[in-house]
Amino acid sequence: MNYNGFQELAATNQWSAIWPELSMAGIGLLVLCLDLFLPSSRKRLIPLVAIFGQLALLAVLVMGCGCATESTGPLFGGMIESGPYTPYMRAFFVLSSTLVCYLGVSYLSRQNLPRSEFYLLTIFVSGAMMLLVQSSNFVMLFVSLETVTIGFYVLVSYCRYSPFSLEAGLKYLILGALSSAILLFGIVLLYGAASNPALAQSTTDSMNFAALGKFIAATPEEPLVLVGAVLVLCGICFKIGAVPFQIWVPDVYQGAPTPVTAFLAVSSKAAGFLVLMNLVAGPFAALSKLTVPLLSAIAIITILFGNITALGQRNVKRVIGLSGIAHAGYLLVGVVAMAVGVALAPWAIIFYLFAYLFASFAVFGVMVHLAGVEDEIQEIDHYQKLAERQPFLAGVLAIGLGSLAGIPPLAGFIGKLLLFIAAFQAELYTLLGAAIIGVVISVYYYFGWMREAFFIKPALPGDEARPSYPMPGAVGIIHKLTLGLLVVITVLMGLFQRGIFGG
Amino acid sequence: MDTLALFNILLFIPLVSAGIIALFLRRGGIVAAGVSVLAALGIAVVSFMILFGWNGEPLGGDHYSYTWLEFGTYQINLGYYFTYESATMLAVVAFVGFFIHVFSVGYMDDDQNKGRFFGGLSIFMFSMLGIVLASNLFMIFIFWELVGFSSYMLIAHYWDKDFAAAASKKAFIVNRIGDFGFLVGIAWAYHYFGTADFAEINALIASGEKHAVTGIGLLLMCGFLGKSAQFPLQVWLTDAMAGPTPVSALIHAATMVAAGVYFMVRIFFLLTPDVLEVIMWICAAMAMLAGFWALGQSDIKKSLAYSTLSHLGYMGTALGLGFPGLAIMHMAMHACFKATLFLCSGSVIHACHHEQDMFKMGGLWKKMPITGTAFLFATLSIAAVPMFAGYYSKDTIIGAAFGVGAETGNSAYYGVWALVLIAALTTSLYMGRMFYVVFLGKPNSEKAEHAHESNLWMTVPLIVLGIFLSLGAGWFASSTLDFKWANGEMTAMLPTDATTFMMDGYDVAEDGSHAGDTAHHVDKPHHGYGGGFTAAHHAIDASGQKTMLEGSSFAMMLLGFIFTFFYYGLGPSKDKLQTQLPGLYNALAKHGWFDDIYDWYVAEVQERFANILATLDQLLISGLLVRGTAGVAGLFGMVSRSLHVGNIHGYVYWFLAGVLFFGAFALGML
Repeated sequence: MNYNGFQELAATNQWSAIWPELSMAGIGLLVLCLDLFLPSSRKRLIPLVAIFGQLALLAVLVMGCGCATESTGPLFGGMIESGPYTPYMRAFFVLSSTLVCYLGVSYLSRQNLPRSEFYLLTIFVSGAMMLLVQSSNFVMLFVSLETVTIGFYVLVSYCRYSPFSLEAGLKYLILGALSSAILLFGIVLLYGAASNPALAQSTTDSMNFAALGKFIAATPEEPLVLVGAVLVLCGICFKIGAVPFQIWVPDVYQGAPTPVTAFLAVSSKAAGFLVLMNLVAGPFAALSKLTVPLLSAIAIITILFGNITALGQRNVKRVIGLSGIAHAGYLLVGVVAMAVGVALAPWAIIFYLFAYLFASFAVFGVMVHLAGVEDEIQEIDHYQKLAERQPFLAGVLAIGLGSLAGIPPLAGFIGKLLLFIAAFQAELYTLLGAAIIGVVISVYYYFGWMREAFFIKPALPGDEARPSYPMPGAVGIIHKLTLGLLVVITVLMGLFQRGIFGG
Repeated sequence: MDTLALFNILLFIPLVSAGIIALFLRRGGIVAAGVSVLAALGIAVVSFMILFGWNGEPLGGDHYSYTWLEFGTYQINLGYYFTYESATMLAVVAFVGFFIHVFSVGYMDDDQNKGRFFGGLSIFMFSMLGIVLASNLFMIFIFWELVGFSSYMLIAHYWDKDFAAAASKKAFIVNRIGDFGFLVGIAWAYHYFGTADFAEINALIASGEKHAVTGIGLLLMCGFLGKSAQFPLQVWLTDAMAGPTPVSALIHAATMVAAGVYFMVRIFFLLTPDVLEVIMWICAAMAMLAGFWALGQSDIKKSLAYSTLSHLGYMGTALGLGFPGLAIMHMAMHACFKATLFLCSGSVIHACHHEQDMFKMGGLWKKMPITGTAFLFATLSIAAVPMFAGYYSKDTIIGAAFGVGAETGNSAYYGVWALVLIAALTTSLYMGRMFYVVFLGKPNSEKAEHAHESNLWMTVPLIVLGIFLSLGAGWFASSTLDFKWANGEMTAMLPTDATTFMMDGYDVAEDGSHAGDTAHHVDKPHHGYGGGFTAAHHAIDASGQKTMLEGSSFAMMLLGFIFTFFYYGLGPSKDKLQTQLPGLYNALAKHGWFDDIYDWYVAEVQERFANILATLDQLLISGLLVRGTAGVAGLFGMVSRSLHVGNIHGYVYWFLAGVLFFGAFALGML
């Protein structure tokens, strides 16, 4: 590349275009510096800085969402390209990160663990996710993905006194590394194939999505391309927890500290889906003959496996994990519809992700409040008579679970409805059938949980006297407001879904 | 400020108040009361801002609506439709509602659950305003159910008493029966007209594009029968008196039960003459029967509840005769004097430490002069003594029945006239009885002995609603007292915008300000059809019997008061009718044995049928389908759960198997 070429590339380095990501990094660094220089008596400021910093950023982002966003085109020499979903997903990750930090405050107050690193890692990981969903080059994708994953290795095993957390961290490390290796291998195969001058449309910039897309469109039957593409998909399926790469989910979700479980369930999964959407609509668009049947099969198995396995679980973190697999399955239906070419599908996915965010954090908020010191042992039995002890929490739980189960008029119902409409428009009737069966099964375990909270009395009269589970105190006003807000948004999104994404 | 913004604020005030109370002030006591009363004040202020700023043009259409759901061509809007009839209703709800809130502060001072009570009142105000402003059938149904819910919640305020819990259940279930017909009617109307919007349906019928259908009208009428407690769904209203007295005043006398009438007026253009005739007969009969039933009660609130039934019957009769304006006028006048009567009874009950038996009261006039005066004014008003509010609406309804009969030559209308005329007699009978028994003579119990006048929270609303409005609310209709002030925004004691519909009904088109609205009915059964007070008086004048009509009503009123004065005496401790004619008294007390008939039906017919269905359900649906499929799914679940062995080697093999599976797909092997 000659001098002019470099100059052209440098001209695309518009740092101002990624100011939200830079701000996240800035907040992270600020937290780090405060941790270094603040006297220990002032350290309680750190979570406040982390949370309010992100809230301020969120406010700016949300105000920006209303304005028309024009695509800036490829930036940083084709590394990054913001799409129509970028503003929403930026807000999504910042919001999720804020909520994780907020739950972290509650969680860490009960543990004897270092504090600031938690916020730091959460913020950096979220920043990396924001970059990840904009990457338009496999190098960028891999680097930001690894930033996310390595952050998670630490976060999952954050509770280093707990054997569960350590075990979960180890499992996540090994399986994460394995999936990264598979992903990288797939990338390399694609790189190799696309750089082969003997093939049509070969390119020197073969990591770039656009160039790669052109190449694949010209040679969709090339075996190397096909194998490379499915290996990349394998790597992404690990992130979203689709069968057969779901196997780590229950153990890791159970062992990880509850806020990290929420982070994994919401942000990590959403990032995986956005990457999958970018790939399916971008470089792999020409492979729809492969991706549609493959992802359809995966979606059906994932929905049924997740829901059926969640049926008999008694540990709520495992239930959430397994039901999360099922949600990944529903979202995959949307991705398939998108691959078929339904315009509604990507917006349905994003609406679903938002509905999932609000409902999940409502449920996790309740879980964090009810959890004892032994964070990984949260059984459904602990929720017995919650409605009598803590009617507010029981109400929040009911609305959160109701939304996850897709009960009208909550947001989750509209999310599922939009996904199903997209699937219907794409004529994916088998997928639609599987998804509906899955929803029916899911009602069983979600309502089982609610039933425990509202209707079950202790079986023996003596049980009441000596509860074997922690009895948390009253709910603070801030916690009430936060959970109340999540619930209100869940209800409002169910009632007024028009105008959120312009129809 | 933009009217749309005012409407939004109007709905949000009570919702926010209810939310704050539910979240933070459930044990808030007096703070919760304060929030709720301030919200009611806010509603009153905003309502009058809307009324004074309004130029008389109907407000509706796209600018005033939000799309709520949209699937293809199927669309549900949430919107406002503001016309003269809504103006009247808004003024009543806001003004009477505020004073009843104030009264509640005094009445509930010894209650432990103020937060729940005042939160419920706020929810009620929200729902009621929603009904008043709703622009379409779907939206009115939503708020219709919400008032049903708040009524249910407030009747059961003393939930630890069995009768209150049972009464709230009864009210809820009976209303559901009416609402079922209502809902089917909405679906049919939407199917037939292709829209649920009042203004659009209105335009379709006015242009002759579609005709009103009797079936739709009858089904929608079911909602009215349930909410306004008319035959055959009248049984819930007297039991609903188990709630606190301000609730009886606000919900079960002044506003919610009148919402049924309001709704019928709102959809007047899609009621065919057949539907109106059904309404007219049902309501005229109820006006008379309930009047008699009121004589068979010794509980002051229950007696007043039958009086409410009777007067809802009057409103329905006015509607059925084809005078929606007159129906709304009687609704408004009734809201003033009946709210007063209930509030006075509340004041008395509070003073007598929750004694509700009239025959244990007596002699309260001297002990409670303000309450007594307000009660007297409201009594004269409800009995239609000239110059009092009730006279203008009630006597006009009675006369209008005769007038329409004379105009159309249909003698059936004379039957209606006879029914409502006898109902007028019963009014002065039960009101006279109540006044003499409760306020005159000597105290009949320890509690009445020690009664004393209530505090200012309670007496101020009594003075405003009882003394001023029970007397003067109807003056705008008089030809001598209809003075205008405040730049013509006020006529006598009411805002001019609120009086227009009562005077003219849907005939406003004649003076041009309401052009293009519902005045053009396809087949007018009689001349004044669709009108209000003015049109009814035209009919009366045209019959040439004005003096006879006025005289007969006046005579009935006088007869009732004189008869009860001599029959019951002053402050008796026993009901003379009960001791002298126990058979007749019991027949009245049983109010037509409807409760017994319904009980028999539920226990003997419905219960047996339900048992058969329950058996089928247990065997087939629960046993085979639900348990069966759950068992299969659970079995699979056990298998798939056992796959999570926890062993990391095993997990790595899963990954490899997954890669092979994906690879097989890629190479076309699957």
